[in-house]
Amino acid sequence: MKILVPFKSVPDPNDVTVAGAAASTPKWVINPFDEIAIEEALRIRERGEATEIVGVTIGAPAVDEQIRAALAMGVDRAIRIDDSRALDPYAVARILGAVVEKEAPHVVIMGKQAVDDDSNQVGQMLAGLLGWPQATFVSKIEFLDNRTRAQCTRETDGGLEVVAIKLPAIITTDLRLNEPRYVSLPGLMKARHKLIETLTCDQLGVTVRPRTTTLSISSPPKRAAGTRVESVEELVAKLRQEQVL
Amino acid sequence: MDFAWSDQQRELLDAVGRFATQQLNYDVIKNDREGIFNHEAWKKCGDFGIQGLLVPTDYGGLGTDPLTTVAVLERLGYACKDNGLLFSINAHMWTAVIPLVYNGTEAQKKKYLPGLCNGTLIGGNAMSEPNSGSDAFALATTAIKKGSRYLLNGSKIFVTNGPIADLLVVFATADKTRGSDAISAFLVEKNSPGMNVARKLEKMGLRTSPMAEVFFENCEVPEENLLGKEGGGAFLFTRSMTWERGCILASAVGSMQRLLEMCIRYANERKQGGHSIGKFQLVASKIVDMKLRVESSRQMLYHYAWLSGHRKAVYLEAAMTKLHISDCWVKCCEDAIQIHGGYGYMTEYEVERELRDAIASKLYSGTSEIQRNIVASMLGL
Amino acid sequence: MAKTLILIEHDRQQVKRPSLHAITLARQLGGDYALLVLGHGLDDIAASLVSYGACAVVVADDPALTEPLADRYATVIAEATRKRGAKTLLGTSSTFSKDVLPRAAALLDAPMVTDVLAIEEIDGSIMYRRPINAGSMLTTVRVEGDRRVLTVRATAFEAPAANAAPSPIERFAFDAASLPNGMQFISREQRASDRPDLTESRVVVSGGRPLKDKETFERLVGGLADALGGAVGATRAAVDAGMAPNDYQVGQTGKVVAPELYIALGISGAIQHLAGIKDSRIIVAINKDPDAPIFQMATYGLVGDLHHIVPQLIEAVRRA
Repeated sequence: MKILVPFKSVPDPNDVTVAGAAASTPKWVINPFDEIAIEEALRIRERGEATEIVGVTIGAPAVDEQIRAALAMGVDRAIRIDDSRALDPYAVARILGAVVEKEAPHVVIMGKQAVDDDSNQVGQMLAGLLGWPQATFVSKIEFLDNRTRAQCTRETDGGLEVVAIKLPAIITTDLRLNEPRYVSLPGLMKARHKLIETLTCDQLGVTVRPRTTTLSISSPPKRAAGTRVESVEELVAKLRQEQVL
Repeated sequence: MDFAWSDQQRELLDAVGRFATQQLNYDVIKNDREGIFNHEAWKKCGDFGIQGLLVPTDYGGLGTDPLTTVAVLERLGYACKDNGLLFSINAHMWTAVIPLVYNGTEAQKKKYLPGLCNGTLIGGNAMSEPNSGSDAFALATTAIKKGSRYLLNGSKIFVTNGPIADLLVVFATADKTRGSDAISAFLVEKNSPGMNVARKLEKMGLRTSPMAEVFFENCEVPEENLLGKEGGGAFLFTRSMTWERGCILASAVGSMQRLLEMCIRYANERKQGGHSIGKFQLVASKIVDMKLRVESSRQMLYHYAWLSGHRKAVYLEAAMTKLHISDCWVKCCEDAIQIHGGYGYMTEYEVERELRDAIASKLYSGTSEIQRNIVASMLGL
Repeated sequence: MAKTLILIEHDRQQVKRPSLHAITLARQLGGDYALLVLGHGLDDIAASLVSYGACAVVVADDPALTEPLADRYATVIAEATRKRGAKTLLGTSSTFSKDVLPRAAALLDAPMVTDVLAIEEIDGSIMYRRPINAGSMLTTVRVEGDRRVLTVRATAFEAPAANAAPSPIERFAFDAASLPNGMQFISREQRASDRPDLTESRVVVSGGRPLKDKETFERLVGGLADALGGAVGATRAAVDAGMAPNDYQVGQTGKVVAPELYIALGISGAIQHLAGIKDSRIIVAINKDPDAPIFQMATYGLVGDLHHIVPQLIEAVRRA
């Protein structure tokens, strides 16, 4: 079984120096949800259910650092779509659609959302474009019937839900699917010999134009700091005053 | 001279820093107080590849060159606060892994190195005895050949990793009267019949690194576990000790850097008399001295490693590196406590533990006095 | 034909009230809007939607739609949008709408904007304001094209008034037999609860990892929530540790709530959690660590051990 894992480079979410402002020279990492997807693909391969794991990302040459990290985790080879434009989720989904046509994976596993954009759209759009089944916000994956179907547990607003989907399919990962392994030194050294293929959208045969334009970015209004209370009695009195009690 | 790291080295160092910061710094105060070895952290280091540095890839190692190796260990010392864990890793690498790499037969290397590299096997050595420390080769532990086995008799002290080791490199003599020529090294697996790992020894520092006395009473060692040649033990010991002297304090350079940064932060934040204490020259001066020690230690370390990587003789440089870094480390720790004042004395601030850990560096791998003797003799005195 | 179509969510028994908040945005956008529900056996649900001033309550009712399988739902939603000539497809952010609407957007070749907080009209173009980076920043975007798909954050829009003249109910006809067949519903956790829904409750009491275990979490967090008639929430750490189920999680990748009163017990205030509670009217934080970031955002902060404080607080609330 071949698994395609799309991943995105994002500013390190643990590195915010001032709330609301990105660090002046942000450290870039693989989107945490995509890291979980990579880890899941590795585990599926480790239990003998997959033979090849291919990573794909879209960006300028600078994202090669994250590609090497993915290869160091254990991804077999990676594709970088050379495009440094500010794309929107639909454009990303269309590009990934072309990669799926080229690579013909049995399953695409990717993060449910990127922690910088928080849109949570790409996986579902990709599934719609391909006409493939989808399982979103997944916290457990099991393959059934000789790997022709996947049974997925999903984290929804109402609790856990289980669906079974035919392959090929798109699966988006949620937080509790697994805990990703850290990049190891042997992994880093092996990664140097792994293939990174660079393709432009033209070479891929897809033309996309993002239709979302960002006009401005601002800080949300800051909540004013409140007051300390010294006791339960004082707290209850204040809440009474606020008429919430 | 190119003092810059390559992109690849930088990638490795960044990965080490991130790994150690996120994975190794938990429960250190508690483990230090109770003398507990962090097995889980050891395994993580094994998975990460630390124990396999320097070992050829054929045997499951990373095959890194000495300079990259010490840089990784330095970064590890910077990012990991558990000096005891690092001490156990170092003991494992220099006293068990290196002797096997240089003196092991193919069969021995294939049998032990992969496990030693990935952390599933823990190694150490047993050299010092109650009556022979600095006088290293005055061994009383004997190894007498009987048929296809050697029988070991004697007692070893200060065996780092003793309580947890799967494999010990044990030095014993065939004839106490013949001095160093009669010494051989043996690979002794744990639970060998006649081997008794006795009580755990309580230490001043490095308390998360377990240490024990080990007794041998007609301990049977199969002849295929002779490491190197019969009578070649002293040479084997000296060669691996040279590696040890050069490399064992690489992580200390990282620890010193961490202490330096802690002290700068504290000196800028702590205010007395209306301004930060860093403005007092007596405080600033100590920090300057710390900085000088870090830099000079680092340069000596890298120079030693560069020479080693270029296959130059490093007996002198190894001794100087060990002597200098241990001196610097202890002094840095003393200064760090002083700069932090009363807080430096409190366990919670994790400054006092650094000094307790550092003091041993003037004792192991040859005391500072022995290192001075070596340097003096190499200078022709 | 209405230019806006709004997907309304239900739990097979009744409408999920936060999904109605998208109607408020539709009213801001102006023009006619229709409501759309999918499922099976929807008569009562459809009837409950007639007072929201929609030009139609469109019902896609078929056994094939009993469960919200994304491939089927997106197909029907896209078809309904196209057939009715709607240019804006709206929903309220939820795991349901996030599952189906992006797929529908792709079928409609439309861009999508998630978690709209507000709109602005400039030179005849509509701009949408939405949160990014776990809500630590806001961005204003414009989308191009004939159609667009939007989800709104329920907490950013008021509940719509339900006092309009009744809307007609229309059955949406589609070919159930030709719906995709690649997905199968297996099961769903059913947990009965007397407590109000986390996203709808006036009061939310949440706990973090210091609550130690499931029993303590239920006793203290659940106990205080019950004393106040509120819902229970949890941080990611608490859910990861098994103290609370996933649907209690509040934060960037969990639920976003904006109750009148949010009480955070043993929660330090990581950005990812704060993202889910910023718009609460009153935030109370109880934490042992006086330097916990949450105190910078809390209306009232009490430093102390929650294991001592919470039982006292439960008592005091009961007496009040």
